[in-house]
Amino acid sequence: MSAAVIQVEGLTKEVVSSFRRKRVRILDQFSLTVNAGETFGLLGLNGAGKTTAVKLMIGLSRPTSGSVTVLGRPAGDRQSLARIGFLPENPYFYSHLTAYEFLDFVGSLFGIKHSERTKRVNELLNLLSLAEAAKKPMRSFSKGMLQRIGIAQSLINDPEILFWDEPMSGLDPIGRSDVRRILQELKKAGKTIFFNSHLMPDVNELCDRIGIVHRGRLLVDDTIIKISKNGNYRDLEDFFLAHVTDAENLSKTAS
Amino acid sequence: MLDSPTVVLSLSINTFRELVRDRMLYAFVVFAVLVTALGILLGSLSAGQTMRTLSDIGLAGTALIGGIVAVFSGANLVYKELEKKTVYIIFSKPVTGWQFILGKYLGTSLCLALVVFAMGAFLAGALALFNATVLTERAAGFLWLISRSILLVYLELLFVTAMATFFSTFTTPVMSVLFTSSLWLIGHFGQSLRDIGRLSENPAVTQFFNMLYWMLPDLASLTRFRGDLLHGQELNMQLIWYLLCYVVAYIVLLLTVAAIITENREFQ
Repeated sequence: MSAAVIQVEGLTKEVVSSFRRKRVRILDQFSLTVNAGETFGLLGLNGAGKTTAVKLMIGLSRPTSGSVTVLGRPAGDRQSLARIGFLPENPYFYSHLTAYEFLDFVGSLFGIKHSERTKRVNELLNLLSLAEAAKKPMRSFSKGMLQRIGIAQSLINDPEILFWDEPMSGLDPIGRSDVRRILQELKKAGKTIFFNSHLMPDVNELCDRIGIVHRGRLLVDDTIIKISKNGNYRDLEDFFLAHVTDAENLSKTAS
Repeated sequence: MLDSPTVVLSLSINTFRELVRDRMLYAFVVFAVLVTALGILLGSLSAGQTMRTLSDIGLAGTALIGGIVAVFSGANLVYKELEKKTVYIIFSKPVTGWQFILGKYLGTSLCLALVVFAMGAFLAGALALFNATVLTERAAGFLWLISRSILLVYLELLFVTAMATFFSTFTTPVMSVLFTSSLWLIGHFGQSLRDIGRLSENPAVTQFFNMLYWMLPDLASLTRFRGDLLHGQELNMQLIWYLLCYVVAYIVLLLTVAAIITENREFQ
């Protein structure tokens, strides 16, 4: 059994809504563990709490209660941040920079030496098929190109753990296939991958384990193998819809 | 552990690039047009008068245009990163709040230096052009006086930038511009505020204006000094050093609080 590298216990996040100043619970007693080398996919409808969960794991947001440790340190600890890569949902970048300048800038935030940075930036530009656009300002990039540059920046420090929020978003079929290939290579290299997605075929193909979050609660945490062996569901999408619908009906009955 | 100076330097260069590519240097063009037009207008006056008026107005123009650049770029400094969500990229990396604030501040200050010193060089050139004796008789001395005056303008603008940076960590750009401009203005009327307070019979009012006087750096003295400096008058060096230390301490305080706010901030 591999060591746990992400440990989330009883995570609850409440925010005060700008409308009516009401407290809204986004995550509710959310707990999970991800082991080293595992690929974990978090599934959920829009607004289910997937992005909030990732932000709490990175330390961009703080929990109302509960705890998160990444690589044995509290979320947001600088030493663990140096060993992880993060791709935000709908990534926004510095539009005044070129792709090369941006990746070089991100590399420097990790304290990577100039010569090493140059090598790494060129490798990543080639890997993500962005070499031709290296000198172009990012304000001229399409959504798919921005997504690829986002993926590239999350790999600049050769991280041990990757947190990718909707990595396939905005990509065309070729782009999606490229990202799938990269994910498989990273998996083979023993990286731990945590990603949010709506795309069931990708999750089914890439993940070892999945979680389903609905209205801030983790409904399911199971391996893809176990789920596929369960004869009650046609596929992962059927499994997902059945659990979400059940939870929705249950909450309607309760209220 | 990570190399802090490298991180700060990278953030500074990124900020500098952003400001330069956002055409911030156009402020210099406005100044150049202003000084040239003024020089032509003053052409009818005698040489001594032209030089004094042009240098006074040119220096005030440098402070004003530089100040506008400092207020607006400082006010957007942190807010823009929050609005465009580029903070997600920065703070998902091992970057601390103080590295971020210091990097952004140094980048803005560097850009401001470029604008201010370009304006200073243009002013010196314009003065030389409109009064050729400057070049022949006491060129070196005159350039030294201009450089020192411009340094005092830059010192004031460093303070204005720190104020705008501080406000930008917790309020919108509009409010930051409003707060920074107001305090900048009040700083120029420090002594007058004290005098207003003395006029009141209410001790609370007197105390309030006194407090305001002590809370803000005496920017009026900086303005007076730079004028005196330009016209070759004797200066009270002790007072200049005191002001210098006061402004620098103020900048350190503002940036420290800004860094603490950023460090404890949540990014929703």
